[in-house]
Amino acid sequence: MFEWACVIVALFLGAPAAQAAGFVVRDDLDRSVTLARYPQRIVTLLPSLTETICALGACGRLVATDNYSDWPPQVKALPKAGGIDDAEIELIVSLRPDLVLLSRSQRITGRLHDLGLASFALNTDSYPEIAHTVTVIGDILGLPDRAKRLNESISEEVQAISARAIARRHGHVPTVYFEVDGPPYAAGPSSYIGELLGLLGARNIVTADLGPFPPLNPEYVVRHDPDVIFVSPSEAAHVADRPGWDRIRAIREHRVCSFIPAVRDTIVRPGPRVAQGMQAIADCLAQVSP
Amino acid sequence: MLRHAVADLGAERFECAASGRLGTWLVCCVGVTMLLTAISLLVGTTSIEESWKWLLSPDAKSSVVLWQIRLPRTVGAWFAGALLGLAGAVAQGVFRNPLAEPYLLGTASGAALGVTVCLMAADASVGGLALMGQIGVTGAACIGACAATLLTVTLSRGVLQTASLLLSGIVTAFLLSAVTSLLLLTKPEIWREMQTFLLGTTSFISWSSAILLGIVLCICIVPAVLLSRGLDALTLGEDTAQSLGLSLPWLRLTLLGIVALATSTSVGQVGIVGFVGLVAPHLVRETLSVNHRQLLIAAPLGGGALLQAADLVSRWIIRPAELPVGAVTACVGGSYLVFLLWRRSRDG
Amino acid sequence: MAEARAQLAADPVVLSCRDLTVAYGSRIVFEGVSLEICAGQWTAVVGPNGSGKSTLLRTLAGLTPAKAGTIRLQGRRLSAWPRRERARNLAWLAQTAAPTELTAAEVVALGRFAHSGWLAHRKAEDDASMHRAMRATGSLAWAQRRLSTLSGGERQRVHLARVLAVEAPVLLLDEPTTHLDPPHQEDVARLLREQAHIGGVSVLSAIHDLSLALTADRLIVLGHRGVVGHGTVREALAGDWLSAAFCTRVDIVEHGGVHLWKPALAENGAS
Repeated sequence: MFEWACVIVALFLGAPAAQAAGFVVRDDLDRSVTLARYPQRIVTLLPSLTETICALGACGRLVATDNYSDWPPQVKALPKAGGIDDAEIELIVSLRPDLVLLSRSQRITGRLHDLGLASFALNTDSYPEIAHTVTVIGDILGLPDRAKRLNESISEEVQAISARAIARRHGHVPTVYFEVDGPPYAAGPSSYIGELLGLLGARNIVTADLGPFPPLNPEYVVRHDPDVIFVSPSEAAHVADRPGWDRIRAIREHRVCSFIPAVRDTIVRPGPRVAQGMQAIADCLAQVSP
Repeated sequence: MLRHAVADLGAERFECAASGRLGTWLVCCVGVTMLLTAISLLVGTTSIEESWKWLLSPDAKSSVVLWQIRLPRTVGAWFAGALLGLAGAVAQGVFRNPLAEPYLLGTASGAALGVTVCLMAADASVGGLALMGQIGVTGAACIGACAATLLTVTLSRGVLQTASLLLSGIVTAFLLSAVTSLLLLTKPEIWREMQTFLLGTTSFISWSSAILLGIVLCICIVPAVLLSRGLDALTLGEDTAQSLGLSLPWLRLTLLGIVALATSTSVGQVGIVGFVGLVAPHLVRETLSVNHRQLLIAAPLGGGALLQAADLVSRWIIRPAELPVGAVTACVGGSYLVFLLWRRSRDG
Repeated sequence: MAEARAQLAADPVVLSCRDLTVAYGSRIVFEGVSLEICAGQWTAVVGPNGSGKSTLLRTLAGLTPAKAGTIRLQGRRLSAWPRRERARNLAWLAQTAAPTELTAAEVVALGRFAHSGWLAHRKAEDDASMHRAMRATGSLAWAQRRLSTLSGGERQRVHLARVLAVEAPVLLLDEPTTHLDPPHQEDVARLLREQAHIGGVSVLSAIHDLSLALTADRLIVLGHRGVVGHGTVREALAGDWLSAAFCTRVDIVEHGGVHLWKPALAENGAS
C-alpha cells in the first residue's frame, strides 16, 4: 500500500516534471531564459540552428525559419522570417511561437522581449561549439538522449573521415590556401573552415596569428606555394591570371577546387552536417593530392 | 633668369617663365617616384633584409614576387594615381571649383553598380559566370562608370551648364547607389567582395594592367595639355572665354570625356580610391602658382606618387595582411584637408 | 590690320542691329532697338542702372541670344561668322573679372587665342601685339605677376591690355574704367580715343561716369523703356536725352570746354 502511495506521489511530482514546469537555461548572451514547457512552436533565424533541430527529429516543431534555411528540403515550405539583420517581427509575432532561436549578433532580442516572446541566442562559430549547440538544443526540446546520440554519430563520422583522409596520403601533409568571399580574404586556422582543414590533416599556409579571416597580400600565397587552393566558382576560371600566381604549384598542377553553393553551405554552416562538409573538402584534397 | 628678360621694357618676347619652383617640384616628384619604386621592391610580406637578399641573389620564386607582383603593382599604382590626379585637375578646371574631383560625374557609383550586377550574374547562372569570365570585374566597373557619365550628361541635357552638370552628377551618384543597395539587399553574400572593390585595392595589378593604365594616361594627358589654354581662358569667366573664340560645349565635352575615360580606367583596375584626385591638384596649387598647362603635368606626377606611397603603406602596416589602399588615401587625404582648414583658420 | 582698315573705309558701318529685342525669361530688357556703329568712332553707352547697357553689349558680342532682331558685323549676320573669325574681329571686355591665378602676361596672351589657337605657340607677331597692348595700358611692369597679387585697378588695366591685344576692329567694353583712379580713367579715355581716331577701331563702351562718357564721339542713351536717343554728343545735349533717361535727376554743364554732370536741383532748391 505504501509503495502504491509512493508511486502515486511520484507520478504527481513527476507529471509536472515531464512538462518541465519553469525550467531555466542560459543562452549565449548570458541571459537566463525561463521556459514553461518544452517549446512546440519554434522560429529559427539561423540556418545552422534549423539544421540542428531537424537533425534531432523535431522538424515538425518549426513554424518559420530565416530566408536562408534550405535543409532539409521540407523547411523550404515554411514561412520565411527574414535575413540576418532584418527579421520580420510582425510575421514572427503572428505565428505565436513558444521560442525564437537566433544568433548572438541579431539585434531583435529586445523587441521580442517587449512583445512577450521568448528568445534564445546561440552561436556556433567553431567545431567544438557544434556539440555544445546540439546539447543545449536537445535540453531545450526535451530530447537529451537524441542529442547525445547525434553528437556521438557526428563525432564518429568526423573522426572516420579524418582518419581516412590522413591515411590516404601516407604521411604527406598538403599545404592549403582557402579563399572565402573573394580575394583577398583567406580562412585562417582559427576560423571554422581552418579547423576543418586541421582535422583533415592539411596545413594552412595562413598562420594562426593572422586571425580568422585576414585580407592577405597575394604575394604571400605565391611565396608559400600551396599544394591545393580553394576558391569560389566565379574566381576559379581566372585565378591563374592573378599576377605571379601562374607559377604556384596548385595552379600549375590544376589543383584548384571550388564548391557549388549547395555544397558550400555544408562547409560554412557549423552544424550537424559538418561531416558532409568535411567529406567534400576531403574529396577535393584526395583528387588533387599526389 | 627668364623673369629678368621679361621685365626689360624693350623685350619683345614674353617667355612664360616656367618658374624655378615648378622645376624643383617636378624634379622632386620624379625623385620621390624613383625612390618609392625602389622601396616597393623591398616592401611586401617579407622583411626588408630578406627582400634585399632576394635582390642580390634571386631565385625563381623570389623573381616572381619581385618582378611579377611588387614592381607591376607599384608601377600600376603610379599610373592609376596619375590618372586620378589628371582627372581631378581637369574636373576642377572645367567646373572652376576647387572641390571638384574625378568621381563627381557619378563614375564611382556607376562602377559599383556594374560590379554588383556582374557578381550577381556570376552567382545566379552559368551564363552569368561565363560573362563575368569574359569581362571580369574590371570590365564591369569600366562599363558601369562610362554608363554613369552618359547618364549624367543626358540628365543635364548636354554639357552646356556646369551647374546642372554638377547637380546631375550628384543625382546620378545617389540614384545608382540606391539601386546598388537594393540589389545588395537581395543578395547580401556578395557584400564582402563588393567591399574590396569599394575600398580600393592595388593587390592584383599585373603588368598588363599597368601597361593599360599607362596607355590610357598617355591618351588622356596629351589632349588635356593641348586644351589647357582653354581651361586658362575659362578661369576668366565663361563669357570672356566664349568671346575669345572658344567653343565651350566642345571644350567641355572633350575634357569631360577625358575625365570619364581616366576615371573609369582607374576605377576598373584599382577600385574606388578617393582623395587622390582631389588632393593632388590642391597640393600643386598650394605650393606653386601655375597655369593649367603646368598643372596638368604636375598634378598627375603628384597623384602618381601619392597612390604609390599609399600602396606601400597598405602593404607594410599589417603585413602579411594588407589594408585596402582606399582606406589609406582617405586617412592621408582627410588629414591633409584638415590641415588646410586649420591653416586657413589660423591665417584668418 | 591694314585690310581691316581698308574695308572699313569702304563701309563705315561695322556693327549694326535692327529691331533688337532681348528678354531674360519673360522680362523684356529692351525691344526694337536699331543702332549703327561706325568705324573710327568711340561711342559711349550711358543710362541708369538696369537700363540694359551690359545686356546690349553682351548681345552685340553674341554672348546673349536675342529674342528678336538681327545683328550684323561688317555687313554679315553675326550668327554667320565662324567662331574664331568673329573673335578676331570683335573683342569684348566683361564688367566684372573672375579671379584667376594666371600671370598678367598669360592673361594678355589669351587675347591672342583667336589668332594663335590651342597650341599656344606664339609668334613674334603675337608678342608684338601683346607688348603694344601692355605698354598702352601701362601694365608692362607687372607682366610676370599673378593677377591675384595686383590691385583692382592694375588688374583692370591687364584685362584692357588683353582686349587690345586681340587687335580687333570692333571693341565692346563694359565699364572699362572700373576700379581706376581718375588720372587712369582719363588715360583710358585717351587710349580709346586714339584707338578710334588713329587706329580706325570702333569702340563701343558702357560707361557709368557721365562726364567721361561725354568726351566720346557719340552717345547711345538708354532709358528704362529702351533707347532714348543715339547720335553725337552735341545732339544728345541738344535733345536733353540724359535728363530724360535719368528722370531729370542730372544736369549737364559746360566748364572750360568740358562737359560735366551735376545732380539736378528740384524746384524748391533741394536736390
